[in-house]
Amino acid sequence: MKHSLMLRIAIALGILLSFGLMPAAADCDGEIIELEFMNWWGAAREAYMDELIGHFQEENPCVRVINQVQPWDNRAELLATAAASSNPPGIIMSTRPETYQFAINGLIIPIDAYVEAHGTDLGVFYDGEIGLQYWNGELYGLPMPTAGGLTGLMIYNKNLLRDAGFDPEDPPDTWQELEEMAAAITVADPMGIDVLGAAAGSTSATAGADAEFVAWLYTNNGKYVSDDGRTLLFNSPEGVETLEWMVNLTNNINGGTENIIDFFQDTSFSQGDHPWYDDQQAFLHINTSFFGHFNVADPDGYADTDSWGTMLRPYNGDNPDAHSAGTTGYNYSGAWAYTIPAVHPPEMQEAAFKFAEFIGVHPQGGCAFLFRQSRPSPVKECNENPAYYDVNPYWSVVLEGLALDTPVQITPIQGQLAEILSNNIEEAYFGVKSPADALNDAHAEMQKLLDEFWAEFDADNM
Amino acid sequence: MQASLKSQHTQPEATWKSRFQEWWFRNRALIGFAFIFPWFAGFIIFDAAPFIYNLYLSFTDYQIGTVGTPPWIGFENYIKIFTEDKFFGKSMYNTVYYLGFSVPLRLIFAFLIALILNLRVRGMELYRTLFYVPSVVPLVAATVIFAGFLNTRYGFLNQFLVLIGAMPVRWLSSPDAIKPSLILLSLWGFGGQMIIFLAGLQGIPEDLYEAAAIDGGTGWHRLLYITIPLMTPTIFFNLLLGLIGGFQIFEQVFILLGTNGGPLQAGLVYMLHVYNKAFRDFEFGYSAALSVILFLIIFVLTLMLVFTSNRWVFYGDAQDDDG
Repeated sequence: MKHSLMLRIAIALGILLSFGLMPAAADCDGEIIELEFMNWWGAAREAYMDELIGHFQEENPCVRVINQVQPWDNRAELLATAAASSNPPGIIMSTRPETYQFAINGLIIPIDAYVEAHGTDLGVFYDGEIGLQYWNGELYGLPMPTAGGLTGLMIYNKNLLRDAGFDPEDPPDTWQELEEMAAAITVADPMGIDVLGAAAGSTSATAGADAEFVAWLYTNNGKYVSDDGRTLLFNSPEGVETLEWMVNLTNNINGGTENIIDFFQDTSFSQGDHPWYDDQQAFLHINTSFFGHFNVADPDGYADTDSWGTMLRPYNGDNPDAHSAGTTGYNYSGAWAYTIPAVHPPEMQEAAFKFAEFIGVHPQGGCAFLFRQSRPSPVKECNENPAYYDVNPYWSVVLEGLALDTPVQITPIQGQLAEILSNNIEEAYFGVKSPADALNDAHAEMQKLLDEFWAEFDADNM
Repeated sequence: MQASLKSQHTQPEATWKSRFQEWWFRNRALIGFAFIFPWFAGFIIFDAAPFIYNLYLSFTDYQIGTVGTPPWIGFENYIKIFTEDKFFGKSMYNTVYYLGFSVPLRLIFAFLIALILNLRVRGMELYRTLFYVPSVVPLVAATVIFAGFLNTRYGFLNQFLVLIGAMPVRWLSSPDAIKPSLILLSLWGFGGQMIIFLAGLQGIPEDLYEAAAIDGGTGWHRLLYITIPLMTPTIFFNLLLGLIGGFQIFEQVFILLGTNGGPLQAGLVYMLHVYNKAFRDFEFGYSAALSVILFLIIFVLTLMLVFTSNRWVFYGDAQDDDG
């Protein structure tokens, strides 16, 4: 009984104290606006985001941001359902294809008027980064993190290279060198792969197979789509050669796509159960979030630069015009921005913009948040911080990779197009179609959809 | 004197009781309706109204971001399903394949286990509980357990296969093995059907078996000529529920294989396609049309089964009852 009373008093005191400690409640003169922030900054980043929010609330005491970190599984469905509902979150973290999709359906608002009213300097961003957030001439969000650095970089395990007789300080520059090293390193048995040299896909051969194909395509001097976004170009000879190389790597060196799927089954880089952490993978394509996750999951391994390195994505050595490259804005999991739902009242939208602006350009916003993860910022000045070289041993390679990134034009129907391409590439992996047929079939189906989209778009914007 | 007092005391009670009975009898229809009202209200709110609204949506171009009344497009969604949607045929094939194996296998398995659990053995209550326990494990949890069970390298099943000298199977990564994996997983929840079979078995009169024994009937004869014929209503009931439930398979595929249904969409079942159209492509009207088609298929199949049931389901000697 006594314990129960004490417990109640303690809880009541705790609640009172926690309200008292909230800066937003303490210093606000007017009404407090609660801003639900739907985002995917999970794992160790959640605490960093809480800190960012704390700084924002100190400067904006009348806005209380509720950090709603969401699970990654079924992210797209969750996001779209929330965005389309009658009571969406106050501000949403969305990828570029989603931002475009929401914009064209009127679910989010353009922020040009707020940018002008607040005097936000968009010149602080790299042109390529802020440029990806425009649809039909209107700006829908401020970027954070970078869209770049998503596909152009790879990490590799120096120990596995050393053990296989290769110079760990001389990673492969070309597809051919990568293939040779991968073949020497890969260890497989009837149960599957024990040690993987390199996979054509980042986590599995089939999840997002289209994005991996497009990433490799640009290292063979190919293009996904024309600069005006109206003509698909991926079934070019460079495209066919790229897919043939990917299929060969998957089937002839790795023993088939089933091996790759099984190898990565139920693993996650951010959770520390990825084969990389057990010295089971030599080459890994991953975006710049890798540095932060690695540092948290295995700080000793991260500090030991004798055991791992960073390199640019290899290119086709048989194509004299090819070079290392990356893409920005294509991937369904890239070019993130913070978008504002249309259904909310103006004061809520104003608060949401203030928060988006803080995330985007404030030194204590995205700049500090990304620095803590040792990954680059879309704000030029942030990346000039010399301390980056202390927290990221391969910072110069990161900057080199960013400089090689090429923006890819997409439309609001990117999700549907990506699904068609991915399914056809999968058929090539499984030998249902030849790589050339797979790309040609995908092209025919996708171009038809794209033509229909542009015809409707042009008619609406006449 | 005492008898008189007792009479005075019980008289009003009897009157109250008889009045109540009379009132109850007069209003029995109303009271009956009152009892079924909660179910009826639930049916209207949670089944009939959404069904009618879904039917309406299937004739519209209702998409994400549609504000106000969605545009009416008539049968366009239905025409598109049969002429353009390549995943309609694929998902239907996958579902029918799954049904074709999982429903009979589960029926047979549940029936056999029920037969065993109907024996008079010491500690049978414990065995019955043990066999039923898997059915109360939530499907999501069971599926996650199965994912580990089916893991190519570390899963129990492949470890066992290797132990006996067989080749490991790519349960969840090979297009050829995905549907058998789902069928295997479907056996997990046989407990519900088993309980129904067990109840049916216990309703078979013992004297029929005794008569068969006197006539020299073996165990096999008893099963074939007494148990199975008398169990046909229960088999029919379980078959019907199994088919209806099988057409709606979703959660386990969603968890094991994701929205794409695994490699080459080998596990893309019909409900997954409906889900994808609604929540991935945001074509809610189209998705509604897909679900209406599924309803019609289940409805027609159920009618066919009901109308053909008198050929193989034994409902007792109906003529005697009538006569």
